[in-house]
Amino acid sequence: MRAREAGGAGGTRRYLLGAALIAGPLLLALFGPLLAGEAGPRAVSFTPGGGHWLGTDFTGRDVWRQILLGGRPVVLVAVAATALGYAVALPLALAAALTGRAWLEEVLLRPVDVLIAVPTLLLVLLAATALSPGPVGLAVLVAVAAVPDIARVVHAAAVEAAARPVVEALRLHGESWSRIAFGQVARSIRRTLAADAGTRLVGALHLVATAAFLGLGVQPDAADWAVMVDRNRPGLLLQPWAVVVPALLIAGLATGTNLLLDAALHGGGRKGTRR
Amino acid sequence: MSAPLRAWAGRRLLLGAAQVAAVPVLVFTLTEALPGDAAVALAGDDPGPARIAAIREALRLDRPAVERFADWLGDLAHGELGRSLAGGRPVAGLLADGLGPTVLLAALTLVLLVPIAVGLGMLAARREGGPLDRAISTLTLAVHAVPEFALGVLLTAVFALRLDWLPPTAVGGLGRQPAVLALPVLVLLARPVCSIARLVRAGLIEAMAAPYAVHALRCGVAPARVRWTHALPNALAPAAQQLARTADWLLGGVVVVEALFVIPGLGTVLLDAVATRDVPVVQALALLFGVVTVLLNLAADLVARRLAPRTEVAV
Repeated sequence: MRAREAGGAGGTRRYLLGAALIAGPLLLALFGPLLAGEAGPRAVSFTPGGGHWLGTDFTGRDVWRQILLGGRPVVLVAVAATALGYAVALPLALAAALTGRAWLEEVLLRPVDVLIAVPTLLLVLLAATALSPGPVGLAVLVAVAAVPDIARVVHAAAVEAAARPVVEALRLHGESWSRIAFGQVARSIRRTLAADAGTRLVGALHLVATAAFLGLGVQPDAADWAVMVDRNRPGLLLQPWAVVVPALLIAGLATGTNLLLDAALHGGGRKGTRR
Repeated sequence: MSAPLRAWAGRRLLLGAAQVAAVPVLVFTLTEALPGDAAVALAGDDPGPARIAAIREALRLDRPAVERFADWLGDLAHGELGRSLAGGRPVAGLLADGLGPTVLLAALTLVLLVPIAVGLGMLAARREGGPLDRAISTLTLAVHAVPEFALGVLLTAVFALRLDWLPPTAVGGLGRQPAVLALPVLVLLARPVCSIARLVRAGLIEAMAAPYAVHALRCGVAPARVRWTHALPNALAPAAQQLARTADWLLGGVVVVEALFVIPGLGTVLLDAVATRDVPVVQALALLFGVVTVLLNLAADLVARRLAPRTEVAV
């Protein structure tokens, strides 16, 4: 069923489309800061041209230089948040799935069930009221917001894997908890983990960019694509590039990640059934 | 209602009650009961002694957190939301002012969401793998991931500034010209429409291939009848659950869209309150948004269970 959904040629085409969309933003985010060079003198705000390839921004800085610098925080914070979310949720969910005691499973997972209904952006907004999170704080917040979803998915997959005879055999053999949990159970559900991690990365990109756009966890004049979209909006009529280019880069990054993830899942699923 | 279904519904309601109870605890903890001096943290960029003293006085920070929490809950139970730290207006009045535009946006989005999403999903499922299906599937997958603010800015640049078809912001009032609502509602719809259309498509294809549907077709039941009355309800169950997650996105979307199109709704009130660290306003709004989301989740789970009673809805 799922293999048919991929539709051979459609899957490949989706791969190419995703790769084409993500290539530009990702290369800019990774290597842009290396190419940015020194900041030039400030010019008049919101002027197109005048020696500036993409014009100037709201404080008269060169937009192209801001674009080169502004991708890295978005990508780094999103990747760090996903990794951190997994670092917390994976042991938690595996512990809940592998423990034989029902009460311990309840204690570990009930808070997750309760928290899952709280909107993620609300969590970030609430925390930003009293604290002034920087990039690290924002990554932690986005990770915390992702923990309930990750824990739920991992737990559901791990419960099934933990019921297999091989886990029982390892236990009787006296293998350590971490060997069983990470060496056997986590390994056997790695496909689910990879798929879920991809989904979380797309979600983290979305939340990180949205928070930065709303001015949470960033300096008001930070070199960050989402901040650029927000701060340069007043000049949209005079100098659209300062808004449109970063918005397109963020859209390309998010869309490309999602398309690649989908293509990889269906491609992987097909190979999996054949094997 | 059968016994297991009743037991399930009981457990789900209990979980819903726990979630509702968790919202005020979370709100209070994150805004007031943090380690360190809340008054200093809340004074933020303007940490003069007078301002810190004023905050301490207004929030009664000299008393223990548990006592303040109990007082706050008691006031809430009496419908007393307190006063804004900035300006001293009653919070209830601020909420009442912002409620109209936000409810209008959310209601319009929800009314349009279901027909568009189900229609798109059914259109794609008509011929699996056909050109229309491929186009709709790729488009929904792509648009789904784009953050609302990026989509909104790009749509504004094209439709409002380049083509001059629609007004770029809602300055001047929502009620007067309906055209100002077009772009905000479009942006709010984009994400949920994509995810629900994909679920409807997948569910419908699966349901139409299921033995009962194949058998009904073989017995000569009209395909349209099989599709509409037998397959569709089964395909809608996962979509109904996804509709609950929409409440989450709708909140995020409303905050972004109101900021983007300058709409004076609850999202704008919340953002302003966060920026000025106006704790009573943030608390009241977070509570409102949190409880509404929890209740929508609960309702959607119950509806999903009703549509397809055998699906395992996680509790």
